[in-house]
Amino acid sequence: MISPLPIEVDLPQESRAPARVARSYWQEAWGRLRQNSIGMVAGGVLVFFVLVAIFAPLLAALITHQNYQTLDLTNTFAPPLSPNHILGTDDLGRDELTRLLFGARVSMGIGFLAVFVALTIGAAVGLVAGFYGGLIDGLLMRFVDIILAIPAIFLFILMAILFKPNTVTLALIIASVGWGSIARLVRGEVLSVRSRDFMVAGAALGARDSRLIVRHLLPNVMHVMIVFGSLYLGQVVLIEAALDFLGLGISPPTPSWGNMLTNAETFFFHSRTLAIFPGITIFLTVLAANLFGNAVRDAFDPRLR
Amino acid sequence: MAETVLEVRNLTTHFKTPEGVVKAVDGVSFELHAGETLGIVGESGSGKSVTALSVMRLVPRPGQIVKGEVRLKNRDLTSLTEAEMQEIRGVSIAMIFQDPMTSLNPVFRVGWQVAEPLFVHQNMDRIRALAEADKMLGRVGIPNPKERARDFPHQFSGGMRQRAMIAMGLTTMPPVLIADEPTTALDVTIQAQILELLRNVNREFGTATILITHNLGVVAGMCKRVIVMYAGKIVESGPTADVFAHPKHPYTWALLKSIPRLDADQRQPLRPIEGIPPDLIDLPSGCSFHPRCPFKIERCKRDTPSLIPVGDTQIAACWVTQSGVELKDA
Repeated sequence: MISPLPIEVDLPQESRAPARVARSYWQEAWGRLRQNSIGMVAGGVLVFFVLVAIFAPLLAALITHQNYQTLDLTNTFAPPLSPNHILGTDDLGRDELTRLLFGARVSMGIGFLAVFVALTIGAAVGLVAGFYGGLIDGLLMRFVDIILAIPAIFLFILMAILFKPNTVTLALIIASVGWGSIARLVRGEVLSVRSRDFMVAGAALGARDSRLIVRHLLPNVMHVMIVFGSLYLGQVVLIEAALDFLGLGISPPTPSWGNMLTNAETFFFHSRTLAIFPGITIFLTVLAANLFGNAVRDAFDPRLR
Repeated sequence: MAETVLEVRNLTTHFKTPEGVVKAVDGVSFELHAGETLGIVGESGSGKSVTALSVMRLVPRPGQIVKGEVRLKNRDLTSLTEAEMQEIRGVSIAMIFQDPMTSLNPVFRVGWQVAEPLFVHQNMDRIRALAEADKMLGRVGIPNPKERARDFPHQFSGGMRQRAMIAMGLTTMPPVLIADEPTTALDVTIQAQILELLRNVNREFGTATILITHNLGVVAGMCKRVIVMYAGKIVESGPTADVFAHPKHPYTWALLKSIPRLDADQRQPLRPIEGIPPDLIDLPSGCSFHPRCPFKIERCKRDTPSLIPVGDTQIAACWVTQSGVELKDA
């Protein structure tokens, strides 16, 4: 016969340990993201470019003392570190660094606007399709299939001819294709969330469909949107640069990293550095967006690592 | 007799699937009186949960209420528009679910979720609704409700989540509460606590409760009246004591025989019900239970028995007992 061991249990004097702070899902994800140094650096790079874009005129006034359109035909193809031109000048004697600063406005502006538009449309379509299912789902998703089946580059070319591309139209053109993928992702996530009891419980306490979708579904699929958004940002920057490079996007004299590359290609044998700087900024932005996207995904779903 | 708060008449819910029509609920009628706890028992797939969801009009696709009435205070819920129904749910009828682990939204604080019916139905402002939720969490036995209300569901144990679910159902003081297997996912000690809580709720708030379960012990302890369902139909109903003492349907009889009892002869083997539950698409002819019934007579294969009084207090759908035969061990 085994007698029960006397077990001493340390019962807390108060029924609750003091100051155990309840951390939300978001706070926990943020905590994990902060542990990821590569992700944080990548995020920092993105923030840096955003700040550069926002404060481009200020930075130009403080650092380069140049206007991005000021020509100086007596001082073309100045090498980096020449007086008054930290990164040199281009074929028309315009300050390269100033143009890069303003180019960030185009890339970041189009990048974030396109991501925002694609996420909004995509999430709305995905939520509605996934929540209602049936015919609505079928119609919306077949429409998404059609959108995704269009060869994007031809669409971009057509749109660029139909609408004169500026920052806003170009962002909308890019987003008009990009929302399809996010709609699919969100719908897939909705299908798995929708079948959980709290959705039925929400309906059972009399919540309207709109409340169920916005208050209960959306926060549960938000992580998919955030991850997709940051990965998509890199893609948009790349697409935008490519369109500019092909002359279908933002056209000179407005500087963008893409059309600066086009220019650099023309004068490649005069000055190699002209190709390097916009190339580096594009490369850094896209790399940072991808790394940050991956880090966010790991933060939301630690099991994936 | 107390006033009837909910009356279900000939409720029939079908699921149209490619394989055929699943008759999940097939002509179910019952009444729920004010302040009582009514048990609905039956094995998995007998239509208990679909009956509850039909009352709430929340049957998942492709299910559909084909006919019948659900009368709540002289309104037929089956004929209301979806918008009108949303005003009924959570106000007149609340429902709590089987699995407390998935019944709370993981991204919101518990207090907020308990307060949600107040936001939805009474347009109560945030501070008052949350204070109301704290109070309600306290009443369902959550210690330190003010602090715990700021927790997220994953910080609650299963029993606490079920308490929170019950609190959520009760914030608007609905006259009818449907509890769909509220204790199935909990361990035994917690089950007892939750049942005690439901009993208190029933007493204090006067909420009429429909308790759906497959646990006959729970029914014996909680419910004055019980309904036994088999293959989408009610096969027997009556006062719990009478139904358990003298079952008037062979299915009830067999169910009672198949549970272990502490006071019975230990050497007697348990007797399971032979066979498997019927295919709801292709029900057996006559009485759906006849292929598994030890008492069956010829007539059971041909004609479907109707639910009529057998004995003084019970009703049963069985040709054998209706002809006056007692159900006894063969």
